[in-house]
Amino acid sequence: MKVLVVDDFATMRKIIKNVLKQINVDSILEAENGKHALTVLKGDAVDLIISDWIMPEMTGIEFLKACKADDAIKKIPFIMVTAEAQKDNIMEAIKSGVDNYIVKPFTPEKLKDAIDKAKARAAQ
Amino acid sequence: MTMDVKYINPFIAAAKNVFKTMLGMDLMLGKPYLKDVRATSGDVTGIMGLVGDQKGTLCISFRDKGALFVFKTLVGDECDSVTPDVVDAVGELTNIISGSARGEFEKAGINLKAAIPMVVVGKNVEMNFITRIPIISLPFNFSVNNGENEVMFLDFSFE
Repeated sequence: MKVLVVDDFATMRKIIKNVLKQINVDSILEAENGKHALTVLKGDAVDLIISDWIMPEMTGIEFLKACKADDAIKKIPFIMVTAEAQKDNIMEAIKSGVDNYIVKPFTPEKLKDAIDKAKARAAQ
Repeated sequence: MTMDVKYINPFIAAAKNVFKTMLGMDLMLGKPYLKDVRATSGDVTGIMGLVGDQKGTLCISFRDKGALFVFKTLVGDECDSVTPDVVDAVGELTNIISGSARGEFEKAGINLKAAIPMVVVGKNVEMNFITRIPIISLPFNFSVNNGENEVMFLDFSFE
């Protein structure tokens, strides 16, 4: 499985990569915002997207909407990462077609569960 | 002026939850104390301003060895000195603890917003806590590597 991790903080991308490696996901691409991620998606086949919410240039919700409006990539399972205090934002993400979300902090098991559910939802 | 003790528990719950979840470790709270110096407690300190229904400042501070342990555990890379990557990891941990604490405060009907965290490297670096009330320091103990004890200082002032 190839996963695209989108976050403007390089350290958070590394943290998510470290968690993904703990659940045996080793093929990981990175992007620092939604705009960059869309460029990555044009060049690589990706099986799952994990995106932060607040990012410069193109936010997570703008990126989500762009993905779900594009026939070529709209079926890729999309997980939004959010902070506990931003949970209200999730309603907007659900309306925009997000396949699952995960609240920081999270364990490898919780991320795996979120991935499984996102893949199942995207396959419907 | 004094601080309401109800403001302490969300920070304790958030620190313990984040440490357990992201680093797989239990934090043991030592004896809280009032800090009379408005300065950093450890060598690497993440600082987060909080505003909204209340205002205050949260600091997460580690000695060098604790910061290196946090970096290694969170990111999965080895590092033997405090590099910009280690500094960023402490900033990210501060951000996550702040987010978790704000969630706890929200349950108590207190809505807060946070700024982007800053990280200061150096001990006893003077800081502005944006409040006039005393600073409470919560020293959390945890074990690193071969069982050596390290401390995470959670300093905050909130009104």
